Amino acid sequence: MFTIEDRDAREVFTDAARVWLQENVPARWKENRGSLSEHESDEIRHEWDRQLHRGGFAGLSLPKEFGGQGLSMVEEVIFHDLAAREQAPDGMARIGRILTAPSLIGHGTKEQLARFLPKILSGDEVWCQGFSEPNAGSDLAGVSTSAIKVAGGYLVSGRKTWTSFAKAAQRCLLLAETDPSAPRHKNLTMFLLDMKQPGVTLSPIKQASGLSHFAEVQFEDVFVADEDRVSEEGTGWQVAMTTLMNERGSVEATSRYVEVRADMDLLLSTLGGRPELQKQLNELDIRVELVHWQVSKAIEIEIDSSDYFRATSIMKVLWSELWQAICTFGLENMTPETSDHWRLQYLETRAASIYSGSNEIQRNIISERVLGLPR
Amino acid sequence: MTLLTTRPGEIGLLAADAIRSALIKATDQANISTYIEGASPLAWKSISDAGWDLVGIKEDDESATLRDLVEIAKAWGEITVQVPLIPSIMAKRHSATAAEHDGPVSFSIQTQSLAAGHGLVPFGQISDLQFLTELDGETGSLTSVDGLVLDDFAPSLLAAQASQITSFSADAAREISVVWAAEGSGVAKRAVADAVAYAKQRKQFGKPIGSFQAVKHHLANAHMNVEQAETAAIWGSLDPANAHRSAVHSLNLSIRAIELSIQVHGGMGFTWEMGLHFYLRHTIALREMVTALGTHA
Repeated sequence: MFTIEDRDAREVFTDAARVWLQENVPARWKENRGSLSEHESDEIRHEWDRQLHRGGFAGLSLPKEFGGQGLSMVEEVIFHDLAAREQAPDGMARIGRILTAPSLIGHGTKEQLARFLPKILSGDEVWCQGFSEPNAGSDLAGVSTSAIKVAGGYLVSGRKTWTSFAKAAQRCLLLAETDPSAPRHKNLTMFLLDMKQPGVTLSPIKQASGLSHFAEVQFEDVFVADEDRVSEEGTGWQVAMTTLMNERGSVEATSRYVEVRADMDLLLSTLGGRPELQKQLNELDIRVELVHWQVSKAIEIEIDSSDYFRATSIMKVLWSELWQAICTFGLENMTPETSDHWRLQYLETRAASIYSGSNEIQRNIISERVLGLPR
Repeated sequence: MTLLTTRPGEIGLLAADAIRSALIKATDQANISTYIEGASPLAWKSISDAGWDLVGIKEDDESATLRDLVEIAKAWGEITVQVPLIPSIMAKRHSATAAEHDGPVSFSIQTQSLAAGHGLVPFGQISDLQFLTELDGETGSLTSVDGLVLDDFAPSLLAAQASQITSFSADAAREISVVWAAEGSGVAKRAVADAVAYAKQRKQFGKPIGSFQAVKHHLANAHMNVEQAETAAIWGSLDPANAHRSAVHSLNLSIRAIELSIQVHGGMGFTWEMGLHFYLRHTIALREMVTALGTHA
């Protein structure tokens, strides 16, 4: 339970974070985000990671011994909420911080921690995540990108998809099959692969909305050294599970809450005067605030226990389906001023119930791991 | 987003645990249909001897908060018995007259199913039950239900009609709404737990029906509804300005969870003896009363 001291310390943290964000979010990003070129936008996002590090806000919940700030999920959530409100850029170091760092802390060697963590936290090295494949989506254990043993390391071949930050990434946290003859869940190994070498080919994926947030990555005999293997051969599934548990449902849900809240506020400001829509608007508004309260509840569950699934899967389903409902409502009731926004958001949010673990998979997790129903 | 602790205090946790254990002992976890239309498995006396009806009275900083009462009402809802604990707690919290009275106390609410000037008194069928004419601190007196007209829609509420309506302070109406929402989330939690247990043992096509994804997803949705119903009640207890609308929303979610629990029970779900309809009736009646309290809150 929170003590009074915790609460005071939290208020100090919150004030400091707010002031820092107000002083540091680049005006160019805040004001001209829509008109920036991809290059300008990447530059600002990259610099943002370095700013976070200099300001002492990188790796808030990572232990101090590994260069983090040694705070809890509560501070992570507070910071993400404030950052989203101040329209701070989404840095490029996200994958390194929330996926690679916890995996290495859980399973990496001292040498790996020393080599990679400082650069992740300083924002100098961007990471991407090489898990999903064209034929291994929800069934992640079906990964077929191969890593074949050669002298001093492995040669990686295969295709990864839905890869964010692929172009900017120096490294890829890559799940590959090292032993096709081993049983399921024992055939995979996790690697820390260097992306800047021959044999790595990127093709951007254009989405239904017209935007492009992801790439497909092709690997052809790409070398990865023995010392860049995480833990033993065959432990890749275990490492991946640690990583996915660390996708930190409440941090993601917090950022989404702020985005969903902004869309809800747009609905209220443009349609609030129409009495025939009041009932639906009220219902959507209540659901938005419930996401916020669900996050508050979930953080306490995460702090108290390892009962992540209960919290994370529920939040994912809630914010994604609510966001779709809001954007659908916006599309159905759009005005000349809002039509561009709702058309784009409607198409963009079609993806929300699919990415980060499809909602069908989330419901399987809830029914099997929380309610204990048979597989 | 201000992050508030959503947890109850020690009083809430301890009282909820004690009440839950007493109810489990009293009902022996029997199906609700085996006792709800007969004598209550738990006597009022054991409740008043333990002083539970007085748990909400505000005396000092150590007194139960609304958040604590949410925890208690949730536990109470998980094992539904026909005993007027929740109305008594709320009456005694908001009325000095009720607090001084030894027996159970309730109130009369004009719901949409009643003609103007008539109120529904939860537990009004209990012979020594008194209800308040006013629920606003110091004023008001106790009276009994005149010329008993039963309202048996929800047998667990033993409701009767009265020709007098309680006048509620905004605070009392708001707090009762939140506490009933919490009770509803407890009822829904129980219904979903029953449905999960049923889906694990009931076999069709040679397998437990709970292994079919269509059934699993109904239960996952029901579970999410219960979680949110509880969250909405907690929200209401910590945010007075939104308390009433979050309470109504909470009850809607609980009702949906119970409907899904009925669906998962298949043919048994719509029988009288399986008893799920008692949960549905209970939460629908709570929603009717909470909706009516919105005119006071």
